[in-house]
Amino acid sequence: MSRRSFMKKVAAAIAAATFPTLQFAIAQPRTHRVEISGFKFTPDRLEVSVGDTVTWINRDIAPHTATATEGGWDTGELVKGAEASITVTAGMETTYFCAFHPMMKARLSITAPDQ
Amino acid sequence: MKQKLLLAASMLALALQATPSAAQSPAELNDLQIAHVAYVADNIDIRYAHLALAISNNPAIHEFARTMIRDHTAVNEQALALLKKLNAQPQDNFLSKQLTANSEKLVDEMSQLRGAAFDKRYAENELAYHKAVNDLVGNAFIPNIENAEVKSLFEAGLKIFKAHEHHAEMMVKSVSK
Repeated sequence: MSRRSFMKKVAAAIAAATFPTLQFAIAQPRTHRVEISGFKFTPDRLEVSVGDTVTWINRDIAPHTATATEGGWDTGELVKGAEASITVTAGMETTYFCAFHPMMKARLSITAPDQ
Repeated sequence: MKQKLLLAASMLALALQATPSAAQSPAELNDLQIAHVAYVADNIDIRYAHLALAISNNPAIHEFARTMIRDHTAVNEQALALLKKLNAQPQDNFLSKQLTANSEKLVDEMSQLRGAAFDKRYAENELAYHKAVNDLVGNAFIPNIENAEVKSLFEAGLKIFKAHEHHAEMMVKSVSK
């Protein structure tokens, strides 16, 4: 086997071994669900990545919202059975509450997208 | 199978069409009388909230009042939908009348107040009212409700009213500063 041919085979083997790894390393955006029930957000702490989607669904009779503490984002009013989604962006506010029942509080924890 | 379902539905309807009794204590009320008390109690708090929106200039009081209107309206809608499903009518009783009479006096009293005096009286009454209703619902109504769906609705309602009680505590502290 010539040196050139040998190097080609080595390069191909490296590519074959590396490419699937790269495929798995690039995280796909995920959808997370937060249930609102009994005047609580569950989970009340949620790890998300930029590009992910968070969907809140209200199981209570009372209408609720998920509203960023400083008002940067808001699901709007969610009546019983309604749901709304927010796409996670870099630098978005992470603490939120229900605008109708301010004692209801929760938090997102944003990690880098490729981790 | 269809006949069995029809029979079960008829038995449920009969159970709910309980004969109105001359109950003189909350624990003696039947399911339909309890439903009437709850509907009246919801509407009383909605009335207080409308009074607050008309008189108060405090944004926090307005926000709280709007929440009371929103939540109590939602509970009443669920209660009416359930009664319709069960083909039943709420029944007036001594406690509904008593609650209404007391609320008339309180509305008259609060209507005379303005500014911080109104806000304080409204917040304190919301706390006292929710405490009293929660005690009634938790200790007298829920243990005595016979229909499982009605009981479940009251259990969900109690969670809401307890949250209101907690919210009212925050309001009282806020207007007392």
